[in-house]
Amino acid sequence: MLLRTKGISRNVSEPLVGRVTRNTDKLDGNTFLISESELPEIPNKNFKGILTNNDFTEKDFAFPTVSKIPTFEHLTEGDIVAVGNDGNINTLYRVNSFHNTLLATERCNSNCLMCSQPPRDKNDIPRLYDIHQKLIPLIPKDCVELGISGGEPTLMGELFFQTLETLKENLPETEIHVLTNGRSFAWHNIAERLAQIDYKRLMLGIPVYADYYKVHDYIVQAKDAFNQTILGLHNLARYNQRIEIRIVLHKQSIPRLTKLARFIYKNLPFAEHVTFMGLEYIGYTPHNIEKLWIDPHDYVEELGEAVNFLAGQGMNVSIYNSQLCVLPENLWKYCRKSISDWKNEYLPECKSCTKLNDCGGLFTWNLKKHSQHIKPFVE
Amino acid sequence: MIETRPDRTTRKFKEIDFYDKQETNQYFLLPFRFHRLNNQKEVLVNEVGDHLVVPDGTTHAIVTKTLSKENNPDIYGDLIANFFISEEVIPPLIDVFATRYRTKKSFLEGFTALHLFVVSLRCEHTCHYCQVSRVTTDKGKFDMSREHINKGIDFMLKSPNPHVTMEFQGGEALLAFENIVYAVERTKELALLHNKTVTYVICTNLAVVTEEILEYCKANDILISTSLDGPNYIHNENRRRPGKNSYELTIQGLELSRQIVGRDRVSALMTTTTLSLEHPVEIVEEYYKQGFRNIFLRPISPYGFAVRNERKNKYETDKFLTFYKKALDRILEYNFNGEYFSEDYATIILKKILTPFPVGYVDLSSPTGSITNAIVFNYDGVVYASGESRMLAEMKDYTFKLGHLDENSYEEIFYGEKAQQIVESGINESLVGCSDCAFQTYCGADPIHNHATQGDMLGYRPTSSFCHKNMEIIRYLIELMDSDKRIKEIFESWVKPRS
Amino acid sequence: MKHSNFVKDGEVTAFADTSLFSKDAILKCLYWFGDKFHTNVSLADNFFQITLKPLANANVKEDELDLYLQKLERDLIDFQLRDTIAKETQNVRDLLVAKAFSNGEFDEEPQGNISDPVGFNPNLNA
Repeated sequence: MLLRTKGISRNVSEPLVGRVTRNTDKLDGNTFLISESELPEIPNKNFKGILTNNDFTEKDFAFPTVSKIPTFEHLTEGDIVAVGNDGNINTLYRVNSFHNTLLATERCNSNCLMCSQPPRDKNDIPRLYDIHQKLIPLIPKDCVELGISGGEPTLMGELFFQTLETLKENLPETEIHVLTNGRSFAWHNIAERLAQIDYKRLMLGIPVYADYYKVHDYIVQAKDAFNQTILGLHNLARYNQRIEIRIVLHKQSIPRLTKLARFIYKNLPFAEHVTFMGLEYIGYTPHNIEKLWIDPHDYVEELGEAVNFLAGQGMNVSIYNSQLCVLPENLWKYCRKSISDWKNEYLPECKSCTKLNDCGGLFTWNLKKHSQHIKPFVE
Repeated sequence: MIETRPDRTTRKFKEIDFYDKQETNQYFLLPFRFHRLNNQKEVLVNEVGDHLVVPDGTTHAIVTKTLSKENNPDIYGDLIANFFISEEVIPPLIDVFATRYRTKKSFLEGFTALHLFVVSLRCEHTCHYCQVSRVTTDKGKFDMSREHINKGIDFMLKSPNPHVTMEFQGGEALLAFENIVYAVERTKELALLHNKTVTYVICTNLAVVTEEILEYCKANDILISTSLDGPNYIHNENRRRPGKNSYELTIQGLELSRQIVGRDRVSALMTTTTLSLEHPVEIVEEYYKQGFRNIFLRPISPYGFAVRNERKNKYETDKFLTFYKKALDRILEYNFNGEYFSEDYATIILKKILTPFPVGYVDLSSPTGSITNAIVFNYDGVVYASGESRMLAEMKDYTFKLGHLDENSYEEIFYGEKAQQIVESGINESLVGCSDCAFQTYCGADPIHNHATQGDMLGYRPTSSFCHKNMEIIRYLIELMDSDKRIKEIFESWVKPRS
Repeated sequence: MKHSNFVKDGEVTAFADTSLFSKDAILKCLYWFGDKFHTNVSLADNFFQITLKPLANANVKEDELDLYLQKLERDLIDFQLRDTIAKETQNVRDLLVAKAFSNGEFDEEPQGNISDPVGFNPNLNA
């Protein structure tokens, strides 16, 4: 699944954000026209610009254009893109997807061994904030859920809260799911600022990888991270913010997993949701694979005990990124089809599996690193 | 303005020891207590009730600072993660720890919730352990007057608690059913004005229950609490009545009640007597047979008519403990076979051991639940600190009489000197013997029991049956969980919050 | 001068070095023997001398006294450990309870720093 393409731009001075359409009747000041054939005439109405496979670089148009774009097949009517003066066309929002996410920044103050989006120490926040301020008003009001991710979104400082305020105003019916390490909320003023927004549809997904600070700090490769995250969680709870706790399952987090489950129940019982997530073979993970890899089949006992304990105490628990054949049947009810469509795959042998429709499958990049125990169910 | 960091510090991955924050091998103790579980193991319990079972000698190593992190990495991690030791003088998560402590004690927040109204002393049973006067059915002067009912309701609605429970007791409460209706109707109205919600309970032997009574209970969401001491040969032996058919009437009453008010609004309690002590398994199986999926195994209290029938009721705590363990065994068997069946006393303790949540059970909390959680308005208008206090009064001991509805104000009764003295004696954090006990957070204090059995409210732990019973039950529950993972899982299923 | 613990004439005698055992620990330990024994403590040359004499109605048999001595020796150590813990942790415990019943006025500052390579500082947002 393609999420970006590139051409040659003209008259694009600052990043432009707009919907795309192939239909000239649908044009307005916020919409780009996709033109896959010789343009008969310039539309006699307001529009944002023209995106084309043709070559308009010599033409003397006053409006923004991007020429020689290799393909538009990934773009559906109504999708929203950002067009840069470097000719990059990044898809920001896909109308047919349930998994749209805004990338807040690539900066991060942690450096997790298994980070799927390795950080970059460059201040991209002003640029990305600007793009999102343009994007949010264009997102369809019936958008069910929107994610905010990174890097670490709270590094945006006040701009983070302003982004949330913009979302609340423009998309009052949309559930917002922010992925954050939660460390900034250890500073009380940050938690308080979030509470001011009074955003009932906001949920924060925060990872806790061990009950013992040393193991957690090692996994996230940041000193004091555990203490800051736990304090952050408590400050958030003080203000009744909705919280999800996320745990990635790998060789470093499995040994203390059942102890972590009890730690969560005793110290963080206010969590609305706890998710146990299979390892993604992307980002830093391949580099650190010796430290991380454990065949999921080999941790079903620990996972089962942790999940059953928390669920048994009435907490809301899910298992993400796991295949049904690898887990015992009593855990299937916690498995979700969590992998975003554009990165979701199955093995060739899965084609004949009777449970194919219920199973979450694998990440595209996990096709080369997965459990040895995947096999189809036969009837 | 923040820019790109000029010196590109590398994001090189570091080994786990880099994240070790311990300085020069030292660590600091956090408050905890310990107890020898058996010959091989010790149990450590911290200030908020988290426990760890460790090999014998671990406490000594921890306290003498000879515990080696290298040789015991898992235990060391457990001790840090569970607030037993800290690598700094003030643990970094002390505010989280404080929130845990506050949560544990938050059962105090609302103050008195349970208000017992003794609507009548009349009863047609003559249970030999009964702790109130036996009076025949004609004596009208042993019913609570409407004026006293009114005053009791006023006091109840003065409680700071937004939710109160009004429990009708006796004698046999249903013999004064018209007064119960009067009380409920009046409370319904007044509760709205005071912005309180009220739970109603009627304690009854069900011998005189009728459909009409039950329809009223259903309409007003009143819970029924009855007595079932075991199979008929135990129940009838304990609970005498003309016709010798208490058991049969109870079962009949149970069926009728369940039909009309619903299964989940009918509960039963048992009282353990010398005869009961011989039949733990039969009693549990009787409860199961009658469709209950929980039972409350509690020993008889040592006063009231129990003392007068000393031969029948006096027994040593050891015998009770043997009985308790056998009954618990049978209960666990049901659970091993996939059926849910829980024991209430164990569940109260297990909630304190396994969950972070407050548990405000009157007879097992510190500060004591007398007055702070429950109060008794007697049929004659006298106010007592607890049910047991009124039994002592029947024996002419008025130590725990707090006042009278006609003579004293709410403040005089609930916040007066006598109330303060009683509650002060009921704080186990400061009682001799309890202050160092590992099970302090799981246990409680009962100044009234101490006074009745030992002559003073503070009590003397070495001969205290309250202490002996609770220490052994708590130790046993912890040992069971440690010995068999399945039992731990069963106990965890008992403490799950019921939605 | 070394003292050995012994059982003689129906009484248990034990010695506790004052440099190893505190008075508090000894008294708290002996409290629990009071249901069966008359207990006595005295102090002489840096040793506490402890005696346990069975009470008349306590039903303590002569041949059990050795076991009681062993129990006493073990309990003395246990109570000394408890005493050490209580004294070392008194301040933290007081702080814990004070914080528990506060409204967040005494909350600690978070430890360490936010460790953002590009310099985000949460304190600036205050």
